[in-house]
Amino acid sequence: MFFDDLKESAAMAVDTLRANKLRSSLTILGVAIGVITVTFMVSIIQGLNRAFAEQIEALGSNTVWASKFDPSFGRPPSSENLHRKDLTVADAEAIRRESQFALSVSPLYRQLAATLRYADKQTETPILFGVTPYYEMTHSSYVGRGRFISDADLANASNVCVLGVDAVRALFPFEEPLDKELKIDGKPFRVIGVMEPLGNFFGQSRDNSVFMPLTTFEKYHPDYTPPEIVFVIVLRPKTRADVAALVDEITDILRRRRRVPAGAPPNFGVSTQDSLLDFYNQLTGATALVLTAVSFVALMIGGIGVMNIMLVSVTERTREIGIRKAVGATRANILWQFLIEAVVLTAIGGAVGLAVGEAASLLMNRYSPLPAFVPLWAVVVGLGISAAVGIIFGLWPAWKAARLDPIEALRYE
Amino acid sequence: MSNVILAAPPQTAALDHGDLLAHDAVPASLISMRDIWKTYQMGAEEVHALRGVEFDVHKGEYLAIIGPSGSGKSTLMNLIGCLDTPTRGRYWINGKLVSEMNDDELARIRNQEVGFVFQTFNLLARASALHNVELPLIYAGVGSAERHEKARQSLTAVDLADRMMHRPNELSGGQRQRVAIARALVNHPSILLADEPTGALDSATSHEIMNLFERLHAEGNTIIVVTHEPDIAARAHRIISIRDGHIERDERTK
Repeated sequence: MFFDDLKESAAMAVDTLRANKLRSSLTILGVAIGVITVTFMVSIIQGLNRAFAEQIEALGSNTVWASKFDPSFGRPPSSENLHRKDLTVADAEAIRRESQFALSVSPLYRQLAATLRYADKQTETPILFGVTPYYEMTHSSYVGRGRFISDADLANASNVCVLGVDAVRALFPFEEPLDKELKIDGKPFRVIGVMEPLGNFFGQSRDNSVFMPLTTFEKYHPDYTPPEIVFVIVLRPKTRADVAALVDEITDILRRRRRVPAGAPPNFGVSTQDSLLDFYNQLTGATALVLTAVSFVALMIGGIGVMNIMLVSVTERTREIGIRKAVGATRANILWQFLIEAVVLTAIGGAVGLAVGEAASLLMNRYSPLPAFVPLWAVVVGLGISAAVGIIFGLWPAWKAARLDPIEALRYE
Repeated sequence: MSNVILAAPPQTAALDHGDLLAHDAVPASLISMRDIWKTYQMGAEEVHALRGVEFDVHKGEYLAIIGPSGSGKSTLMNLIGCLDTPTRGRYWINGKLVSEMNDDELARIRNQEVGFVFQTFNLLARASALHNVELPLIYAGVGSAERHEKARQSLTAVDLADRMMHRPNELSGGQRQRVAIARALVNHPSILLADEPTGALDSATSHEIMNLFERLHAEGNTIIVVTHEPDIAARAHRIISIRDGHIERDERTK
């Protein structure tokens, strides 16, 4: 019986929509825009999240980074951070000696930009690293041709370097780079190896690196200041499950070595890729909040459109309501009828919106670097939200209809 | 005078049991109105549309209610049709005390006990004749197969078997009124309540509709026609005249 009632209401709703095509389409459009906004926002956030997680995975092992302060994305480090005592190679050695959970320890200097010159060619973009032979294993990034920096290079502070493929492309487009002499920041270096290409991370090349022995780097930079040059100890845990233990362990070791009083906050930073992910999630969380608010406003506008058309519909059909009541429709019958009509309206809007949103995100995937992805739950939520908009904004007009006095309604012209 | 004789209180048996019981006793007649008042508040002024109306209608009667406009005739019709409740007094239909009912109970009663025929037909414009006739059955909770069958029968009974899928605007006035009559009868109500049923029809069609009413009466239906046209009222077997909220006359004519 209730089902028949629903069927009658749904059939009526479709009938009414058909009878008022333009008005209905405009209302549906309003709801659709709301849902498109929601879908689009969700797809962007989801796509970014997914791409980011994938890229993090692609970065390779779950490395742990120790430095004198935590990486602070998007804002400059505080002066307290900058004036902290630097970590040292001795710290790295201590960790290597004492750690149970570290598979390898790679202390490194990183300089944000270096000038490389070979013959008449020059590139200023490479990131310069001063590293130890442990670099390869720790970062899962290996030399492709020639050899990597050896213990002997380290001991002698030799002027040798290993190039990422970007530098090779810039300086040796038609030449064999191995054993060539080039200048790094004006100092002569011999190329001993070329790294395997790594590809891109969020549109940024990961092959834009140049490596020299840690000791050679120190030779040329007895003093250094962040953020142009930083010293970082990168560690690789024995297994992925050891990340947390490793973080605890090196925090203990560094606290002891740096004489941090018990209970005081550490004067150094230990971060993992998880903390990178955490940070990213925070960032997208804030973005998501703004986008949700925007979507909410868009849906509200759609909903007000629904309410408007439903109020008009109720007024126009006052006499019909009177007839239905005269032949025995209860308040609940009338209420349901108009609610269902509103929900049908918004559900169509929701479906249209989802379809357009999905198409837009597919197009975006194909033609823009921004990744987009509509998860199944968003489809369900989108339809649910539009139905909810129908119920919320249809309730007042439906209630108005249900409360009509049958005598007044029958007299309505 | 005549209303004392002709509209004899049906609860004589109940009265025998004493006054205490008399108030709560369910009358045996189909319709029973006792001291019905309807008062409207017009600003500071109280307007009494009905002032103590009392009458009974038995099963199978063919009754006309006549009166000039403003007499309280429409108010009385709304009360009989359970579209409204009296300010004071008691009204039973088919043994059910309607005067105390709430909106939803009234809707149920309208669905089960009353079949309306209106001057302006009041059909759903976008629905077929068949669907219009099905409407009371939908609200009665009748399943679709049975609903179709009943609606079909009802339309056949008013000679519209060949117009079932037509919409109201594809039908003549007389045909529309017959659809409305089919709708009124489809749920087998206790009374067929017609409000100026020929008011929008030409005289030939009026004649045809009134013949249909006579036939339906002959088949055992109870019919109440509210009208201001004497010749329509003259078709009925009993006429109640209303003036100034009172029953002025109640007489059996056939």
